[in-house]
Amino acid sequence: MKDGSLIKESWNMVVTYATAAILVFVLTFHLLLHSPLTGKAFDATLSFGYATGNLTYYQVIFGFLLFAAVIHGFNGIRSIAIEWLHPERRTWLLNMIVFVLMAFFLAVGFVTLIVVG
Amino acid sequence: MKRDRRFKSGLVSSLNPTRYNLERWSYTIHRATGVILVGYLMAHIFETFQLGAGSTAWANTMAALHSLGPLELVGLWVVAGSALYHGGNGIRLVLNEAFGKFMGKPILPVYPFSPTSLGKNQKIAVWALTGVVLAIWMWAGAYLLAGVGVI
Repeated sequence: MKDGSLIKESWNMVVTYATAAILVFVLTFHLLLHSPLTGKAFDATLSFGYATGNLTYYQVIFGFLLFAAVIHGFNGIRSIAIEWLHPERRTWLLNMIVFVLMAFFLAVGFVTLIVVG
Repeated sequence: MKRDRRFKSGLVSSLNPTRYNLERWSYTIHRATGVILVGYLMAHIFETFQLGAGSTAWANTMAALHSLGPLELVGLWVVAGSALYHGGNGIRLVLNEAFGKFMGKPILPVYPFSPTSLGKNQKIAVWALTGVVLAIWMWAGAYLLAGVGVI
């Protein structure tokens, strides 16, 4: 695309909805692992053993969570930035910055999942 | 191109939901909680990265976070509230926009132009969502800040 984006804005909206739908399920699951329903005190849910155990057992779910959260979150920030800044001819630059940030945080997250898992 | 100064007032106005309807409040809170969540997401990815460096690195990370005192748990409580509201309101928006729920039937634009999209059903949906989110958020607060509510 001329504006530096990888997909049309209409598809962007579909991606936003799809990642939001994924997040409703996987983020709820993630929060439940640190909730009173575990029967543990909150501090106990932050222990090294519990955290690494979760990342190992539920690696695929956390992979979906990471992917959906990064794509949905940074795309949301991009939308707010476009509405506030009206970058017009520099939209491609904004899109590139957001894309690089997405790639960076996805890489850090997936490295963690692979190393721990 | 010279920047139009009207955009500046638009920027400030977009953050101010007063003098607008219920939907505008919901919109502003949705945006604000979204920004909070992305800020936390970035920190959380780096925090979790320490797990891969071993138990000592994780213990040091936890010690650094605990050194913030009550701010750590209050911050997590704010993040939990943001996630609850953003998620709940997001579900309402998908039901609105993708399935046409709570929207009311379209009518001709006749004065005084009352939006059917903000009818009784929509208001019930917004207030019900707010009530449920507040209830769960209080429970999360009791768990995080006072250590009670464990089931």
